[in-house]
This record gives sequence, C-alpha cells and structure tokens, in this order.
Amino acid sequence: MSTQGVMQGVTMAYVKTIGIVNNGDNGRGFANPHDVVVSRDGRIFVLNRCDPARATAIRVGICNLDEEYLGEFGNGFGEGDGQFGLPVAMALGSQERLYVTDEYLHRVSIFNTSDGTFMGKWGVMGSGDGQVNGPAGIAIDDDDNVYIADQNNHRIQKFTTDGQYVSQWGEKGAGSGQFNMPWGLCAAGGHVYVADWRNDRVQKFTGDGTYVAAFGSSGDGDGQFSRPSGVAVDADGNIYVADWGNERIQVLGPDGSFQQRLRGQATLSKWAEAFFAVNPDEQGTREVADLTPSLPPHLETPYQISSQVEPYFWGPASVTVDADNRLYVAETNRHRLQIYQRV
Amino acid sequence: MSNQDFALLAHLMRRAGFGATRDELEAYAAQGYTATVDELLNPGDPEVMPDDLIRRYHVDQSELRQLDGAGANWLYRMVTTRCPLEEKIALFWHGLFATGYSKLNQARALLNQIDMFRRHGLGRFDALLVELSKDPAMLLWLDNTDNHKGAINENYGRELLELFSMGIGNYTEEDIKECSRAFTGWTLGNAEYMAMRASKDSIWPYSRIAWHFQYRDWDHDEGQKTFLGETGNFNGEDIIGIIARQQATARFVSMRLFQFFAADDVDSDGEQVIEAMMQSYFDSGYEIRAALRTLFLSEYFMSEKARYARVKGPVELLVGAIRQAGSYRAPTLGVHQLAYQGFFMGQGLLQPPSVEGWHEGMEWIDSGSLVERVNFVAQELSSLDKPGVRAIIDRLAAENGGVLTPEQLVDQCLDLLGPVAVEDDTRTALVDFAAAGGGALNLSGHQPGDATEQRVSNVLRIIASTREYQLA
Amino acid sequence: MASQRDKKLVVIQLSGGNDCLDTVVPYSNGLYYDFRSTVHIAPDAVLPINDQFGFHPSMGAIKNLWDEGRVAIINGIGYPNPNRSHFRSLDIWHTAEPAKIGTEGWLGRVIRELDPKGENVLTGINFGRGLPRALGLRGVPVASVGNLDTYGLFPDLQDEALKQSALATFTKMYGGAAGRDVVFDYLGQTGADVLKGADILRQAPAQYASTVSYPDNPVAHNLKAIAQVLLADIGTRIYYTTHASFDTHSGELPTHAQLWEHVDSSVGSFMDDLKLHNRLDDTVIYIFSEFGRRVKDNGSGSDHGSGGVAFVIGDSVKGGMYGEYPSLEEKDQLEGDLHFNNDFRCTYATLLEQWMGLESAPIVNGHFEQFDFLKPAAA
Repeated sequence: MSTQGVMQGVTMAYVKTIGIVNNGDNGRGFANPHDVVVSRDGRIFVLNRCDPARATAIRVGICNLDEEYLGEFGNGFGEGDGQFGLPVAMALGSQERLYVTDEYLHRVSIFNTSDGTFMGKWGVMGSGDGQVNGPAGIAIDDDDNVYIADQNNHRIQKFTTDGQYVSQWGEKGAGSGQFNMPWGLCAAGGHVYVADWRNDRVQKFTGDGTYVAAFGSSGDGDGQFSRPSGVAVDADGNIYVADWGNERIQVLGPDGSFQQRLRGQATLSKWAEAFFAVNPDEQGTREVADLTPSLPPHLETPYQISSQVEPYFWGPASVTVDADNRLYVAETNRHRLQIYQRV
Repeated sequence: MSNQDFALLAHLMRRAGFGATRDELEAYAAQGYTATVDELLNPGDPEVMPDDLIRRYHVDQSELRQLDGAGANWLYRMVTTRCPLEEKIALFWHGLFATGYSKLNQARALLNQIDMFRRHGLGRFDALLVELSKDPAMLLWLDNTDNHKGAINENYGRELLELFSMGIGNYTEEDIKECSRAFTGWTLGNAEYMAMRASKDSIWPYSRIAWHFQYRDWDHDEGQKTFLGETGNFNGEDIIGIIARQQATARFVSMRLFQFFAADDVDSDGEQVIEAMMQSYFDSGYEIRAALRTLFLSEYFMSEKARYARVKGPVELLVGAIRQAGSYRAPTLGVHQLAYQGFFMGQGLLQPPSVEGWHEGMEWIDSGSLVERVNFVAQELSSLDKPGVRAIIDRLAAENGGVLTPEQLVDQCLDLLGPVAVEDDTRTALVDFAAAGGGALNLSGHQPGDATEQRVSNVLRIIASTREYQLA
Repeated sequence: MASQRDKKLVVIQLSGGNDCLDTVVPYSNGLYYDFRSTVHIAPDAVLPINDQFGFHPSMGAIKNLWDEGRVAIINGIGYPNPNRSHFRSLDIWHTAEPAKIGTEGWLGRVIRELDPKGENVLTGINFGRGLPRALGLRGVPVASVGNLDTYGLFPDLQDEALKQSALATFTKMYGGAAGRDVVFDYLGQTGADVLKGADILRQAPAQYASTVSYPDNPVAHNLKAIAQVLLADIGTRIYYTTHASFDTHSGELPTHAQLWEHVDSSVGSFMDDLKLHNRLDDTVIYIFSEFGRRVKDNGSGSDHGSGGVAFVIGDSVKGGMYGEYPSLEEKDQLEGDLHFNNDFRCTYATLLEQWMGLESAPIVNGHFEQFDFLKPAAA
C-alpha cells in the first residue's frame, strides 16, 4: 500500500517521529497530544490533552527536534490557575507568550514560554459578544490579534491578547461563512483559515472576517475531507489540512488545489528505541510481525485501519509548519509527532 | 390507554431494554405490545450518540487504551440507543461468553467483540458461534492462540461445549479433544507479538495495536475427526454446525435466555416456555430472535408472575436510572466514572470475574453493593437539573392544577418512574415520608430547585431507594 | 465482639509495580549504577541499612522504624512464571493462585475464617471505593469506605434532618412486607446490615482523639481512617488500602520519591498514633506491590519487571532482611528482571499462621515454607 499520493507542485518528505506514550508520569513522552507549536528558536511545544482520569498528564511538554525532552508546564486537571479541563489548542504570541484554549473551562490560559509561568487567563462562557462556548482552535496574527474558533457558538471571534472583544463572524449553517463546530485555526499572510469540522471543509477569510474561499467537500477522495480538525499554511501559501476523520494529511496549493496526501509512516523515536533496548523480548516478536496487515471487511474504516496499522496517522488532530517548511503532525491516539520536510 | 397496558410495556422494556420514560411508553403503547416486541427484535437505526462527537470530546474513547474509557463508550450507547434490545442482547452474550480485560489488556478488542454481538446477537446461533470462534479477544482469552496442530490446547474447545453451547454432561472428553483439533490454526494476526504485548500490558511505544483474526492453514489439523458421533475432516465451522443442531444446545440457549429475560428461577410454567423456545429455535433455523419472540409473547412473560422476578443487574440498574433521568445524552466530562460505578456495584463492563461471567440474581446483592446501588440511583433520580426529572415535575404540575396530596404525590411518582408496583408496607412508608414534608404539595408557580420541587425530589429519591426499584 | 487483643492486619497495596531497586537500594553494587545509568539513587543519598543496602531517601520514617527493629524487609518476593500485566499480576497476588484464574480473594477467605457466620459485617474493610479482589468472596460481606465521615446511605444529603427522615423511611420500607419471597427478605436483611454497619462506623471518627497529625495525601487520609476504626474496637480485623500509581515508565525519580514520601510519612504517623494509644502490639502492617521493574532503566523510567520487595512493619516484627536480595548479574536475571527467590505465599502463610493464628494451606492454596519475621510470642 502506497503512503504517498500523486505528486504535483508540493512534495513532502518524511523526516522522523518524536514521541512515546506517557501514562501519566512525569517526564518524556506525550499523553494524547492534541496540538503542537514551534517557537522561532526551535522548541517544540506539545499540548497533552489526556483525560481527567489521568489528571497529572494534562500539561504542555517541551522538546526539540533532536528529541531532547526539555520539560513541561501546566498543573494538571482542575479549575485553578495554570490548570486545565479539556485543553484544545495553542498559539504563540509576542513576548514569549503561549495561549491555550480550554473547551471545558471556556477560557484561554496564558503562559510564559521561557519558564512556564502562568501569566493570566480570560474567557466567559456564553453566547454574547466576546463570550465563548467551547473555545477550540486559536491563532494569533503578526499584529497580535487573537482568533478563536467558538465551537458551540459556531463562529469565529477576534480578541486582543488581553481578551478584549474586537469582532466576530459566522453562525451555524453550511453556507459560505457559516460554520458547524469549527475546530482548528490558522492566521497567515493576512488571512484566517478555519477547519470547519462538521461541514467537512476549510474556509478562508480576511482578518476582518470577509469570506474569501472554501475548499473541500465530504468524502475520502483527493481534496475531500472528513471532519478536518487542523490547518496550517506555509510562507508560500500552501495549505496543510489535518483530515482527522480520514486519518490523513492533505496538502493543498495556495488556490486550494490538491497537491498530496499523507497517510503517515512513523518510525521509532529515540525514546521508543530506548524502550526496546531494555525490552528485547518485545523487540524480538515485533521484528517478525507484519505491522501493516490486511484486515477483515468490518474493520476497514480509516479509523479502524489506523487502530491496527501502527505507522499510519491515528487521530491527527493538528498540524503546524515551522520557518524551515517542516510540517509537524500531532497524533492524539499515538502519542507522537510525525515530521515531514517540504522539498 | 390503561395503566395495565403501561405496566406490561414497562415490564417488557425493563427486560428487553433498560426501562423507559413515560414519553417512550406512550409511543410504544400507541403501536401496541406485539408491534413493540417486533420492533425491539428487528433493530433499525439506533441513532446513538454520534461517534465523531464522542471522539472529539473524549480522546480516551477515541484511543480506547484503557478499560474505563471503553466501558464508558458502551454505556453511552446503552444510554442513547433507540434500539435497546440490541444493547441488551449484547450484554446477555457478554455475560455468557464472558471475556475479560485482565488477561487481554485490549479494550478495543473487547468492544469489537461487543459490536459483533450487536451484529449477530439476535441472528442464527451457529453464525454467532463461528464469529465468536474467530473473535480476537476470545481467541486470546481462552488460549486458542496456543492451540496448534499436533499440540492442542483444549481451553477453548472445552468452554465452547461446556459454557457456551451445551453444558456439561452432553459430550465426552474425547469430543473436547476432537473439537479442539478442529479449531487449530484459528488465531490472531501477529499472534506472538500481540500475546507478548497482552501478557505485559504493553502500550509501548505508540499505544495499543488492535487485533484481527487470522487463519493459519499450515497450523490447522486436516486429519479426520469424530465429534458427537459424526466423523469427517471437520474444520471449526463443521463442529459448530453439529453443535447447533443438538437438543442440548437448544435447551441450554433457551434456558439462559429465559433466566436473563424472564425470571431468575425457573418453575414448571417456565419449563413449558423453555420447551416452546426450543421449538422456535429449531423451526427458525437456530434464530435467537425467534426464541426470544416466543418468550416475549408467552402468557408466562406477560403475566403478573414474571413481574419483578429478577434482581436488576448493576448495569441494568445504572443505565435504567440514567435513561430515566435523561442525563449523558451529549458527551459529558466524567462519564468514565459511570464505568467505575458499575464496577463498584459488582459489574464492571468488559471485566467479568471469570469465563463463567457474573453470578446473577440474589448474588448481585451484598451490603457493599447495595450501598452503591441505592446511593447512585437515589442521587441520579433526585437531581432537579436532570431533564428526565424535570419532565416528571412538569407532568406532576400539569395534573390537577399541580396540587397533590401526599398519597397522590407518591402514587404519581411511582407511576412516572415505572410504573413501579410496590408492597403496601412500602407505600405506607413512602406516604408517611411525603406527608412529613408538609401536607398537600402545590406545584403551581414552581421554579427550578424551589422548595416544592425539592419535595418531589425527596420522594423520587426514596422511591429509587426501595427494594422494588432494585428488581426488574 | 472481638476483643482489643485480637490481631489486626493492615494491608497497603502499592499499585502499578514499585521499583524495588530504588526502594531498597544496592548502593555499593557497581552493576546497579551500570544498569541504572539514569534512574538511580546516589550512594550518598540513601538512608543506609548496612554497607550494601539503603532505603530510598523518602523513607525516613520507615528507616527510623527499621532502626527500632520494627521492619522486616522481604527481598526477592514473587511467584513462578511471572506475569508482567498489572491486572493479571494483581489477580495472582489477590487470589494466591498463579496457575489459573482464581475467583476467591485470599483475605476474603481470611474474613470467612475469622467470622464464619458473617456476624460482623465490618470484619474486613477496604478504605477506598470498590472492592479489591483480595477481599472478594461470595457470601462474605466487606465494606468499602471511600470517606469515613459520610459512609452509608445518602452521602449527598446535606440537610441532616432530611437525611434522618430518609434513613428512617428506608428502615421502615426494608423491614416491611415480611415473607413476600426469599429475594425480598434477603434485600431487607441486607438493607438492615447496611444501616447497622454505617451506624457503627459513624462512631469511629466521633470517638477518635489524637495529638498525632497526619500529612495531607490520599494514603494518609486512609491510614488515619484505619486508625480511627481500629481504635474504636468494632471488631474489624482486616484493613486494606491502596496507593497509586507506582507505574513509573518515565520521569521516575521525582514521581517515585513523592509516592514513597506519601507512604512513608503516613505509615510514620499511623505508627505514632498507635503508639500514643498504646496499641502497637496488636497490629501489623504489610506493604506489597504486584511486581518490581526491569533491572535496566529506559532512560527516563523503568518498565514492568517481576521480582520485588515487600515490608512487614510492627512491634511484633523481628526487624531484618528476609529472602535473598536478588543478584544483579546478567546471568542471574530472569528475562531482564530480578529473579524472585521466595513465593509471596510464604509471606502470606507466615502472617496467617504466626500472626492471625489461622491454618494457611486452604487460604493460599497449598503449603509454603514460613519466614521467622515475627516474634515467637506473636500468635
């Protein structure tokens, strides 16, 4: 089975995998990573959503491309300062600030990225101007405007970095400029891109909410989506979509034209290799196993296939692109990042 | 519609489902008893909570690495389904073909098994047994992964005959060996790696890898076998074909269905129903649906005698209370606590104590489990913020101008929570309790959570605490 | 009612697989530092037991009890064909049945022996929600106490008058309709047992007075509740609680240190409390985990292993090291783990025969050699 699609203008090459499952302990590894952002100095911030039954693992972990684990911040599950309920997404602002949305506590928490200090929070649950209900995706543009996918109000809201309401657009529906439970967001090149989750499409707007275009429709063909959850855009305007329900990544050109699809090809991270080094019994049986088996018909949805085929993406909730055109894919169900390079 | 009709339908829904709200009972009553039985037996679209919403909100239920998330995932289905018998029959087979997490460390394989019970649980018994024999969770649970040509492991072969189809006394030790030979080569894909991971509870490096069935023809014993007096080059399907046509099998299956759906104890009238179920089993070509239809339409099942003749299992009790309260209809933080709650009451979904399943009936009850049972349902059904409780209050307020004597309050609440039929002593105690709250209740102008509503809540709490509510 | 002198057993389960190498540290053994290049305790940090071994630095209170001769360390504890799955291995410890899937908890059997007619529903108590399989046995009532202060029916009712009225109604309802049928009567009897048990348990915190302060963590809360029930003399003989999670696959050093800090300080307070009340002589604490961990670390933590360590603590204990500390030599390891050298059922048998005064064979499924970690006059 080929994991690479038809190649046209943009080509992505697999680089490596970072991660290992973390069962709630301190230290290296991820617990249901839901979002990833990369700072200019190359630190990779991973949002470990986890779940309240494993409360301490809900936090932000930091590593780098060399797979050094640099630490973590956030105080686990709870309603206190620096704690999380159901964190969804992150965005980097100016002045070393990291913003994290929380769809259960209906708020944004702000941390200092240099030492993880809690800097503040804002957000009020509701449906009025500036109120949020299940804030999901978050993006910050070059002018420090904050955009939030207001999931259960089916709209995008624009704020200042201290939470002052600026404007909003959208309502529930399937027409242009309408949304159905929007999730991931990206602000790039003066535009805002929205993963319009339950409408199976990506919509593009100007920074003040003027509708520009929509890409995709429901399905599993090229350029079609099933519940897209994340979107990223590189400096040349190419669009990377976490096609969550299809368990794949799609790459679109700046005009939305289909370029490539990725199904994932994870390899062993350094942390995974360290595990097998001390567990040779598992390594031995793994070496003779077929990790990409064919499956009975009742297990052939993309989701079921990904549950069986370890190298494939499983729960690719979020994508991000760094300044060197590296693509990072956060896989919620596999506790790892797969990294690709645009070539 | 008479109260007798509601009481009969409520009885049916406690057995073939997880109870019903008054709105649901009214809809069933409109189509009648027989049509309701047939609708239950022929599930359409269950309209359960959408999977994409669950997976977005509950990452643990998307990954299904752990037992609690998997149990919660099944509970969501039981709570929201419009086809409750589909879940109830899956629960029945889960108790009979009891497969547990402790040895497998593979919650997804267990949920896939439950899904197989949904697909095949009301159909032909022989088809169900073939699916069960290919089920990855079962293959590892009863060591068929160690059942090889020339070196058989009898565990699955033995339990297939003893616990899953005929019962002890209807076959010989030699039959067990021959049966086991027929199932050699039925195993998991990557059996060695998966068994290693299971035995170490390994989630490393990238979480669980789900399982699938594999037939290894090179490991299958192609030799001639003699099973229950028949001889041939039998494979597993042939063995199951022979099993399905045995009288002992028909009797075993009908008996177990009767005990789960009709009464914990079988008396002579019950024996006659079981005979009729066996006949339906054969007439229909081994259809579980046909045997159940005979049961549900039997005079015995529809009579007063069958009412409250079973102790509710913990999951029946839990799901029944939640469905009445109307909670957990959308993804809800903390739903995994419900899975723990069942465990606290003595029935952890996907973790039966052994291959023999749970000991049912009176054995559900001890002082520890009773505390958990009463406290959960009492709290659930007295919470004024739950939609189902609000619906009860709205109905009470609409009756008689919202003015109710203590007797009326108790009788109406008993009616709307079931109807629940209670002993005179129970009713007296309930009325005394309601009266101690202060004479007649006037719900006109009631506001959410006010003192009048609180009195209703208190009465609902005590009704939920009765012995009668513990029975199905 | 059991007398104050009846022997009591307090079991603390360390769930998740406690890393015995970092608990009783072989600090003078170079192999330990070779295999544990990251996840180790430095020689100058351990609390020395002797010139070879030392306690984890978080175990100050247990070290003091050791110095007083009150701690038996059982090294190399385990069972044949070790299973490295948490659930399965715990089942094995709970049912004393390594070969097949057992259904009867060993402590359930103990409770049945102590109170064959089930006259005291509080003979065994688990402190925590749910019932560990060790205590599970059909027909043997065991209370699970999540919170001693609110234990019983209707813990969510804040209004005390309403709660009393609800309980009175419950009593009336469950006492009525006598003779309707067997199930109804049984439910009625069980309801009465529930009320009786809750009434008795409620006295425990009310009667309790102590100058000992416990730390603020879950196992301390449970040990304090155990002290309250124990000192109330309501006939409870078996006390069970669990602390988690010792499943330290990553970031082990800070996690393991905190876990032991919790257990250690709680055990210290509990022993102080018993001492204050002059009750050290009738209680023994037994601490175990379902397995140890791999000899080699994985760069951040350690993975599931087999051979482990258990502790028996009390005034009646002959302090010392029991079992053999397993060799760290590669050739002596069992598939990368410390090789167990004593079956956990030897420890069970010792506690049952020499402490509880019970015949051990039917409880632990066979005859096992006993240790001599209890003082001769103990039973």
